[in-house]
Amino acid sequence: MTNWRSGVIPTWCPGCEDYVIYAGLQGTLAKMNLDQDKTVIVYDIGCIGNMADFVKAWGVHSLHGRCIPTAVGIKLANPELNVIAIGGDGGIYGEGLSHLVAAARLNIDITVIVANNHLYSLTTGQSSPTTPRGTKTKSTPHGVPSVALIPVELIKTVNPEVDAEHINCKEPLKVNEAMERAISKKGFHLLDLEQLCVSFGKQLIEKKV
Amino acid sequence: MNKVWTIKIAGPAGTGIKSAGLLLAKMLNESGYFLQDYSEYPSLVRGGHNTYQVSFSVNKVYCVHKKLDIFISLVSGHWQEHESEFKKETLIFADNDGKINIPFKEICGELGGNIYANTISLGLLAFLLNLDKNFAKKNIEGAFGNDSINSKAFEMGYSWAEKNCQRLPIEKGKEIEEKIIVDGNEAVGWGLYKAGLEMFVSYPMTPASGLLHFLAKNMDEFKIKVIHPEDEIAVASIASGASMAGTRSAVGTSGGGFALMTETISFNAQAGLGVVYFLSQRPGPATGMPTWTSQGDLLFAVHSGHGEFPKIVLAAGDHEEAFELGKLALNLANKFDIPVIILSDKNLSESSANTRDFNKEKIEKIESLKVVPGKGQKIKLYNSYEHNDEGFSVEGAEESKKATDIRLNKIKDILAAMPKVNLYGNNKAKKIIVAWGSSKGAILEALKEMENKEDFAFLQIKGMWPLDPKIGQIIGAFKEKILVENNATAQLETLLKSQMTVEFTKKLLKYDGRPFFPEEIKEALND
Repeated sequence: MTNWRSGVIPTWCPGCEDYVIYAGLQGTLAKMNLDQDKTVIVYDIGCIGNMADFVKAWGVHSLHGRCIPTAVGIKLANPELNVIAIGGDGGIYGEGLSHLVAAARLNIDITVIVANNHLYSLTTGQSSPTTPRGTKTKSTPHGVPSVALIPVELIKTVNPEVDAEHINCKEPLKVNEAMERAISKKGFHLLDLEQLCVSFGKQLIEKKV
Repeated sequence: MNKVWTIKIAGPAGTGIKSAGLLLAKMLNESGYFLQDYSEYPSLVRGGHNTYQVSFSVNKVYCVHKKLDIFISLVSGHWQEHESEFKKETLIFADNDGKINIPFKEICGELGGNIYANTISLGLLAFLLNLDKNFAKKNIEGAFGNDSINSKAFEMGYSWAEKNCQRLPIEKGKEIEEKIIVDGNEAVGWGLYKAGLEMFVSYPMTPASGLLHFLAKNMDEFKIKVIHPEDEIAVASIASGASMAGTRSAVGTSGGGFALMTETISFNAQAGLGVVYFLSQRPGPATGMPTWTSQGDLLFAVHSGHGEFPKIVLAAGDHEEAFELGKLALNLANKFDIPVIILSDKNLSESSANTRDFNKEKIEKIESLKVVPGKGQKIKLYNSYEHNDEGFSVEGAEESKKATDIRLNKIKDILAAMPKVNLYGNNKAKKIIVAWGSSKGAILEALKEMENKEDFAFLQIKGMWPLDPKIGQIIGAFKEKILVENNATAQLETLLKSQMTVEFTKKLLKYDGRPFFPEEIKEALND
């Protein structure tokens, strides 16, 4: 079986649900027996983006917010490649939201996986586009003034032809099944993976997100 | 020396000035004249005041002249603001407007529409310039169809001129081999194509959009992909991704779009990805003056992108160089796996000249040696973080210094691959003119016509960054050093001084959105 592990030891916090996504992705790639030479993963900046070093596959650790357009460029350049973009709610729903919308409109054959923990965690816990209104964070001591974005609903409105699903990382088997669905499917697929940040997300436990 | 003739057609936007101008250029080209043209237009679609201007001669013309031989106002009220461009012998045609009255409205009335003044004026010009009438008619029919009213409009303009005007004493054109008419944007497009371009990504922005239009129109024939995505950040990120996948890619924009792309200049430098950025300048800051010209983004281009890393900045001075540097840019981007910027400006990008047929040139490619997916090569991570050879992130003191050194050590080889300077005129003269970009045309045209041209040498710099250190010695050998730049702050001087000892004795700076005209250069040099 192809080894999809680079050998670099992951640096996430103990108990982080990024491990669920990491294990799920490796298991799915192995199960699907994808051609490693034709698989490219594009990572955003953030905790989940640091997976770039831990996976053995062609990769681009892109700039913050730009994993989707970079992935689009790779897929347009060589349609034979399996292209997966991975990022957090900050990069994909904040800095790079216009790119998500554009890729969904284009219905380009890439899989977008979002580790959505409703916070900017690598930068120590500021609010993100999916932080519930009123949540107090380091950047919003009086509470987040905006309503939270609901990504799956947004993308289904943008283009009803594409797949967009929300799965909770607390159900790893469902995460794995969803990844296989997303990667096998021709066309654009958004996988919004619900997470809780073990270091900065404690105040979100009480909130309904 | 053979006379250079200059014609200007003026009127509001939407009256077909540009299409008449392009047909006139085609007719002059076919009649065996060298030409250069230039258009002025405000950023709107209807109304306002547009002009098309062309200078031609039996000998090479480097730039349009400011002083006119023929001026045609397609509707009344469009000649008054051009009085400074008239000589006493200038023929000024306008409709019942106090000059030579050409009854555009009346002829249009007979033709059944008011949109034919442009074609009527082509008939007038074909007579005045003694252009082959059949050539001219064939072109009009080619543009508008065989039985169109435009053919009739041309005939009526021609016969009005026969009755009311005298032919101008213009020397017959000569056979010139293989001429095509291209503007600067198209010339860059041919260059990129002839260096094996595979993907062009762009978001429309004047004056660079012409390159997008040219490559999009030819995408099937050139077998390239042309993409117009959601914004300039996506443009440049898509090009970076394509480069990672082994596709030779380029983007095109002007200053505002380039501002958005600069994060990818830095990214490509860090990740080791070759991408060409075509940057056609217009006056800023901000939206500035979209349809006018400037050389105000030299330092921005050279300093674009955060961090310390090598990049290449090239500046084309004319259409031939736009072709050559377009080709070189894509090859250097792939040879060194770094970002390469080609500078143009509105004056070069949107002005046409007749050149050799670039389509007859061979495709010449320098391939990137970087590993790419799908070819059985050793897997790699292309990383925006500081990284080791495999692409994994590193933060150690020694490793990070080493990675920076590896990048910066490319500069030696890059310098050897940069285009050399052009040194024109008398290199034993006392005075040297120093310039870059499209100002080249006005300077060469001025020198061509000056009686004391032997007093001057002219140094044109094409490799803007990294700079050839010998430039300082070349300039230093002359007693008087004259800087010519289409900007307000002498950016080339700042750049040169950052790398070498240079003192200019005189600076000719123009920053009103208009390019230099040869008359202005002549006057300043003789001052």
